[in-house]
Amino acid sequence: MKKLLAALGAAATMSLTAFSAGAQTYPERGITIVVPFAAGGPTDTVTRLVAEAMSKDLGQQVIVENVGGAGGTLGAKQVADADPDGYKLLLYHIGMATSDTLYRNLPYKTLESFEYVGLVTEVPMTILAKKDMAANTLAELVDYAKANADKVTVANAGIGAASHLCGMLFMSSIGTPLVTVPYKGTGPAMTDLLGGQVDIMCDQTTNTTKHIQAGTVKAYAVTTPKRLDVLPDVPTTTEAGLQGMEFGIWHGLYAPKGTPAEVVDRLSKSLQVALKDENVKARFAELGTTPSPEADATPAALKAKLESEIARWKPVIEAAGQFAD
Amino acid sequence: MLYDNLSLGFATASTLANLGFCFIGVLLGTLIGVLPGIGPTATIAMLLPITFQIGDPTSALIMLAGIYYGAQYGGSTTAILINLPGESSSAVTAIDGYQMARKGRAGAALATAAIGSFIAGTVSTFLVALLAPPLTGIALQFGAAEYFSLMILGLISSIALASGSIVKALAMVVLGLLLGLVGTDIYSGTPRFNLGIREYSDGLNFVAVAVGVFGIAEILRNLEDEHERSVAVKKVSSLWPTREDWRRMAAPILRGTFLGSALGVLPGGGAILAAFASYTVEKRVSKNPGEFGKGAIEGVAGPESANNAGAQTSFIPLLTLGIPANPVMALMIGAMIIQGIVPGPNVATEQPALFWGIIASMWIGNVMLVVLNLPLVGLWVKLLTVPYYVLFPIIVGFCSIGIYSVNSNIFDLYSVAFFGFVGYVLVKLRCEPAPLLLGFVLGPLLEENLRRAMILSRGDFSTFVTRPISATLLILTVAVLVVVLLPSVRKKREEVFVDDE
Amino acid sequence: MVIDRANALCGAIFIAFGAYFGLNSLGMELGTPFRMGPGFFPLFLAGILIVLGLVIAIQAIRVEGDPIGSFPLRGMAFILPAPVIFALTLKGLGFVPSIFLTTLFASFASTRMRVPTALALAVVMTLFTTIVFVYGLNLPFRLFGPWLGQR
Repeated sequence: MKKLLAALGAAATMSLTAFSAGAQTYPERGITIVVPFAAGGPTDTVTRLVAEAMSKDLGQQVIVENVGGAGGTLGAKQVADADPDGYKLLLYHIGMATSDTLYRNLPYKTLESFEYVGLVTEVPMTILAKKDMAANTLAELVDYAKANADKVTVANAGIGAASHLCGMLFMSSIGTPLVTVPYKGTGPAMTDLLGGQVDIMCDQTTNTTKHIQAGTVKAYAVTTPKRLDVLPDVPTTTEAGLQGMEFGIWHGLYAPKGTPAEVVDRLSKSLQVALKDENVKARFAELGTTPSPEADATPAALKAKLESEIARWKPVIEAAGQFAD
Repeated sequence: MLYDNLSLGFATASTLANLGFCFIGVLLGTLIGVLPGIGPTATIAMLLPITFQIGDPTSALIMLAGIYYGAQYGGSTTAILINLPGESSSAVTAIDGYQMARKGRAGAALATAAIGSFIAGTVSTFLVALLAPPLTGIALQFGAAEYFSLMILGLISSIALASGSIVKALAMVVLGLLLGLVGTDIYSGTPRFNLGIREYSDGLNFVAVAVGVFGIAEILRNLEDEHERSVAVKKVSSLWPTREDWRRMAAPILRGTFLGSALGVLPGGGAILAAFASYTVEKRVSKNPGEFGKGAIEGVAGPESANNAGAQTSFIPLLTLGIPANPVMALMIGAMIIQGIVPGPNVATEQPALFWGIIASMWIGNVMLVVLNLPLVGLWVKLLTVPYYVLFPIIVGFCSIGIYSVNSNIFDLYSVAFFGFVGYVLVKLRCEPAPLLLGFVLGPLLEENLRRAMILSRGDFSTFVTRPISATLLILTVAVLVVVLLPSVRKKREEVFVDDE
Repeated sequence: MVIDRANALCGAIFIAFGAYFGLNSLGMELGTPFRMGPGFFPLFLAGILIVLGLVIAIQAIRVEGDPIGSFPLRGMAFILPAPVIFALTLKGLGFVPSIFLTTLFASFASTRMRVPTALALAVVMTLFTTIVFVYGLNLPFRLFGPWLGQR
C-alpha cells in the first residue's frame, strides 16, 4: 500500500513538473473551445471561423465542442471546472454578463471563475417589424407602439437570447411595456415575423441582414454608433432619436481561472492573429459584423467589458422581473 | 424556366467531383448512422467538420446533403434491425419493421424502406423544384393557432399507433407530453420537473428517451427467457420483397410521399408528424388492420416514404426563407455560413447554381442511397446472425457514446438508464412505447403554440375556430376521432367481457 | 375477486406519474387564459393522466389478464448501470478505459457470456470506437484521463 501511495505521489509530482515545463512549449496538443450553444447557431459559427484561424497560428488543432444548455451556463460551468492548462477554453457571448443577473444560482462566479483572453467580435442588432407595419421610421414605430401598448407584440427567441435582451432594452428606452411573445430559438420567431403573426423583433444582423436586403421585413434602426456597410440605408438608433439603445452581442474568449499567464498571453496573441485573417474578416463581413480590433482582443479589454456589461444589464433585467431559474 | 433551372442544377451537381462528394457523404452518413444509438442529428454533427475542409461551398453542401440522407437511412436500419430508433420518425418504422425482422423478413423491410425513400425522394425533389416559392407562402399562413390545431390532429391520430388498448395508448401519449415539458418554461424561465438538476434545464434528450424505452427495454426483454430461447430472430427467409410485398407497398408509398411532402413544408414541426400520420392513414385504410404492429409491410413503406418526403420538403423553408425547420436544418445553416453563404430569401436568385445544385443533389443523393444500400441489405441482415449476447454489449457501448456526444451531457446517460427501466416495465405491462415518443416530441410544441396563440389572441379561445386553417384542422380532428373510435367502440361492446384489449 | 395485476400496476404507475407532475404544477403559477403560467398546461395533462390511470386500474378489477412474468434481474443489474458507468468514468479515466469498462460490464448481463469472450469483445469495441470516434471523427474525447495521471 505504501509503495502504491509513493508511486502515486511520484506520478503526481512528475505530471506537475511536466505541466510547469509545458508552459513554454504550449500548445503541445489539440485545444478544445467550448461553445455553450448548439451547433449551427451564430456563436458556433463565429467560434468555428476563429478556431480554424487560431489553429493555423498555434500549429495545433483547435476543436469546437458544443455544450448547449441553460442559456449557455452549462458550457461555462464545464470550462470553469476544467483543468487550468489552456487546453479547454470557452467562447461565450454577452450572456456571460446577463446570466449573472438572469440566473440567481449560477454554479460558478462570473467574475472569479475565469481568466480573460480577449474580445472576439461585437455583432450589431437591428430593430425590425413585419413587412406590412404602417410605421416608416423608428419615431413612428415608437409612437405606434406607445399608443397600442396592449396590442403590439414583440417576439424573442427565449429568455436570455439576444432578441430578448434587445426587446427589454427597447421597452425600457421607450418607457412602455409591450406584449412579449417568446419562441424557442430565432428560427421560429423569424418565421412568425415573416408571416406577420407578430409585430416587432430585434435581433442580430447575423440573422436579419438577408431578410432586410430582400425586403421581407422592415428595418428601422441598427444599434451601432455608425451605420453598417451592409445596410447603408438603415439609420442608427441615435440618429433615429432613440437614446440608450446602443449595444451589440459581444463575444469573448475565456480560460479557466488559474491558467498560467504565459498561456493566456499566447492565446491572446493567437486570437489577435486570427482576427486579422482574411477569411475570418470576409466571413464576418457577410454576417454584418467585424472582428474586434487588436486593442480589444486583450485580457484587459474583455475584463472591462464584462464588468461594465454586468452593471449595465442588472437594472434592465431586474426591472423586467424575468429570471431564468 | 424550370427546365433551365433543373439543368443548371444537374450540371452543377453531376460533375465528377460533386458526384464523388455526394457518394462519400451518403456512405459516411450510412456507416455512422447505422451505429446503434447514434441518431441522424448526432451523425451530422459528427461529420459536419469534415465538410468544412472542402473549399467549394456547393460541393460541401452536396456532401452534407448526402450525409443527411445516409444518416436518415442508417437510423431506419437500426430501427428495423434492433428496435433502436434514432429520431422520432424512425420510432414509427420500428413498430412494424422490427416485427418483420423478428419474423426473418429484415431484408424485405430494409429494401422496402430504401425503395420507399427513393420514390418519395424523387417525387418530392420535383415538388421542391416546382413549388418552393408558393408553398412557402402557405407555410407562412401557419401561426400558433394553426400549429396547435395541427398538433391536436396529430395526437388524436396517434391513437392508431397502438395495436392494443386505446386507453393505455392515450395514457402513454399524455405521459410523453408531460415528459416533453421537463426543462425550462420558455415563457417565464421557470424550471419545471427537472428535480433541481441544471443539466436537465433544456429538457430530456430525445435520443436518450428513445434509446431507453425502445432499445434498452428490448434488450431486457430478450434477456428475459434466454434459457428457453436460443435465437431471437427467426431464420432469414428472403432478402428481397416478394411480388406480394411489391403489390402491398405501392399505394402506401404514394400516400406517404404525398402526406410527408405536405407536412414537411411547415417549418414549425410538421415533418415530425409525417411518419406518424402516414402510419395512421395506412392502418385506417388497410383491409386487415390487425396485422399492424405485427409486421405489416405497409407500416414500413408508408412512414418511411412520408419521412423521406418530409425531410426533402423541409429544405423548402431553409432554402426560401433561410429558416431551419429542425435541428438538422440548423446544422445545415451553420455549414452554409461557414462556407460563406448566408441563407435567406435571396439564395435562389443570388446563387442559382448553388440553389439548384442542392436540389439536384437531393435526387442524386437518393439514387446513391438506393444504389449503396440495396447491396448492403444483405450485410446488415447478416449482422442479425451475430448471437444476441454478443450484440447487446456492443449496442450499449455505442448508445453510450452516441447519446453523450449529442450535448456532451453526462446526465443524458442517466436518463437512458432511467427510461430503459421505466420503458421496460411499461412494455411488460402491455403499454407500447411509440405513442409515448410522439407525445414527447409534441409536448413542448403543443404547449408553446397553445400559450402563444392565447397571447396573440389576447386570451380569446375562439381564435382556434375563427382562423380558417385552424378551424379546418379541428374539423378534421373530429372526423378522425369519429372514424377511429367508432369501430373500437363497437368492438368494445362485443368483447367487453373478454379482455380490455 | 379477480385482478389483472399487470393493469393494476400499470394504472398505479400512470397515477404516480400524474401525481408527481400534478403536485409540482400546483407549486407553479397557473396564470390566466391570456397569459398562461408554467403550471397550467402540465396540471391539465396531469389531471388527464390520473383519470386514464384510474380507468386502467378499474378495468383491472373486472378481468383476469395474462401474468406479468418474471423480470430478468441479472440483465437489469448489468445493462442499466452500463451507461451510468460510462458517464461516471469518462471524465476521470478517459475514453479508452471508460468504453472498455462499459462494454465489459454490459457483457455479463447474459448468462451465456464467458469471461474470455467478454474481454475480447470489450477490446475490439474499444479499438473500433477509438479509431472511429477519436481519430476518425476527431470528437473531443480524451484517451486517458486525470485519474490515470494524464494531464
